[in-house]
Amino acid sequence: MFHAIRPVHFIRTFLDDQKLTMDANRQDYLEAVLATLPECVAIVDRNFQLIDLNKAGLKMIGVEHFDDLPEGAPISLISQPYRDAYRDALKTALSGAKQEKNKPFRIEITAVDGTHHLMDCCLAPLADKNSEINAAVVTCRDVSEWQDALEAAEQSSSILQTILAAVPDAMVVIDEHGLITSFSTAAEKLFGYREAEILGQNVSILMPSPHKEAHDGYLERYLRTGEKHIIGIGRKVEGCKKDGTIFPIKLDVGEAKIGDRCLFTGFIVDLTEQQRTAAELQSLQGDLMHASRLSAVGSLASALAHEINQPLTAIANYLSAARDMMDQGVEGNEAHLHEALRESVSESLRAGNIVRRLREFVAKGEINRQILSIAQLVEDAMTLGLVGAYDKGIVCTTNINPDTNHVFADRVQIQQVMVNLMRNAIEAMEFSAEKKLEISVQSIPDKRVEIAISDTGSGIDPEMADQLFHPFATTKGSGMGLGLSICRTIIEAHEGTINAEPNPLGGTIFRIILLKAAEEKLDVE
Amino acid sequence: MSSDHLVYVVDDDDAVRRSAAFMLRHAGFQVRPVESGVAFLKLAKNAERGCVLLDVRMPEMDGLEVQQEMLKQGIDMPIVILTGHGDVEIAVQAMRAGAINFLEKPYEKEALLAAMEEAFERLDNSNVKEMASAEANVRLACLTGRERDVLDGLMTGYPNKTIAYDLGISPRTVEIYRANMMEKLRVRSLAEALRIGFAAETSDIPVTKPVQR
Repeated sequence: MFHAIRPVHFIRTFLDDQKLTMDANRQDYLEAVLATLPECVAIVDRNFQLIDLNKAGLKMIGVEHFDDLPEGAPISLISQPYRDAYRDALKTALSGAKQEKNKPFRIEITAVDGTHHLMDCCLAPLADKNSEINAAVVTCRDVSEWQDALEAAEQSSSILQTILAAVPDAMVVIDEHGLITSFSTAAEKLFGYREAEILGQNVSILMPSPHKEAHDGYLERYLRTGEKHIIGIGRKVEGCKKDGTIFPIKLDVGEAKIGDRCLFTGFIVDLTEQQRTAAELQSLQGDLMHASRLSAVGSLASALAHEINQPLTAIANYLSAARDMMDQGVEGNEAHLHEALRESVSESLRAGNIVRRLREFVAKGEINRQILSIAQLVEDAMTLGLVGAYDKGIVCTTNINPDTNHVFADRVQIQQVMVNLMRNAIEAMEFSAEKKLEISVQSIPDKRVEIAISDTGSGIDPEMADQLFHPFATTKGSGMGLGLSICRTIIEAHEGTINAEPNPLGGTIFRIILLKAAEEKLDVE
Repeated sequence: MSSDHLVYVVDDDDAVRRSAAFMLRHAGFQVRPVESGVAFLKLAKNAERGCVLLDVRMPEMDGLEVQQEMLKQGIDMPIVILTGHGDVEIAVQAMRAGAINFLEKPYEKEALLAAMEEAFERLDNSNVKEMASAEANVRLACLTGRERDVLDGLMTGYPNKTIAYDLGISPRTVEIYRANMMEKLRVRSLAEALRIGFAAETSDIPVTKPVQR
């Protein structure tokens, strides 16, 4: 019979039956509340039949009017696994047993459109005027969205956990007191602490002195002044592992404000490997420069052997003649003997000079900048650079302006550059009708000196001009293309410049510009 | 030494030219130092015949080119070639073109004088011809296959290392074959061995009868 009763009527009747003193306004108010309540309110009788359902409930199920509810509602709407719980709860409520407060139970409702809604339900028994319980009020709140949000939150939190576990850079979060609140898996690996043992400890434990002692001060200063010394900047500093190992790190710090609290997140990259790589690279470059000198020497070797054999031949000639003279009796031969010995000495020195310069050239020395006479520098370089040039019919002229005096440079390295340029020039002139190599040194403004090495060779292909000084750019059949690139590296290390331009006479001019040595440095020398 | 033995010392290096002249003069030769191949060719046409101590590495015109030019112009003077270290190939070319001997700088005085002596012997007895190819072939016949291979390599101008590589044997083994080869040919210098080799080359007659002496 309940079925026939309109929900609002029912309540009214019900309330009438309660014989409560209630004026019409109050009833209207209650009806309005029920109609506008965002939660579903249903009344269910002892037979589990739905007697009334408010607007929110109808809307949730997806019908306009109470009469439109599908057959068997509400049980038929509840998903199978939740039905027993619903029945039990309803039975308990109808039995009048005390219900535990705030203990909602969950059911899932399938709306007419097929969507599922998770509902948290509360039941309250409803007694009639005889204090007999024959119905129950069911209030339900749709928690589907909450559930979704909760799941999403759980999911994103687990994604975050995964990221923290997987991110290769170590991550350490600290609060404004410097206490560690999070320590990523990579951080555990890097520093050797377990997250569990380090949480709540001061982050200074991860630093060597003097930062270890000063870190609290840094934090205090930042919080007081807002001056950023590392936040958003990133620095190379040192970290300290659990076992005491101090190692280079790159530290980037980000700041997160949560309410009036500050959290600082440090991203830490271990630079040990990088530094080792950098050191290896540096040593490789050193080796390469050494190798290039050696290969230059290799190509010079046969010519040099000849060069050294000349004075040796002369010495052998003079000394064997001198020995003969002594066999014949020195008397009358003194002048000749003297000449032979004098020439032998001078030729020995000539040979020694060639050897010495070769050794200096090959030596893999540290960069050793000294005050050097530019004229001497050019002259030394020519000894090696022009080996064999004369045989090839090359005419070499030098023009060293006397006002050019000194430069502050590494003799061997600058010599290497000049030798390289001279050898290139000689090679370039192999098939030239005119073979003129000119080396000129002059002062140019801003206390600089320019060394120009010009040839009348084949010139530089305009297509190559742009990448002339790039590594591995070569036009030679048997070249690595490293010569000029190394030259540039050396000259730039001397704060100088090197460039090439076409020679108006045909061929190429290479210009090296170096800083002159300051006068006061000359005094030191 | 007889003082009418004239030596042209052709070398562009002042020290070498002057010292060689100094030494040869003391050894009793007449010496005419010349500072380039071009200058030598200019004066040689109408000059007194002598022996030529000719440097290989010179600007403008190297020793081999001078030698070729002398052959062309009919300047018949015995040549001793001076080479730098590792110029065996050039030396071999010079030998093939008829040089008497070659010396690697720096050389011993005795080696130079021996070469000079040989050269003057040729100059004084112009009728003394190169060894006949038949005789050369006879002498070469006593060499084993490997010894002959090594000599062939040397005649091409290859250093021991290259010969070893080509023959698939060690350079040390090449040295042994080389020493044996020179022993069997009864020569003291590579130049002499080469001369025998080159003399044999002028003949197409294959060696049919190995003769041991």
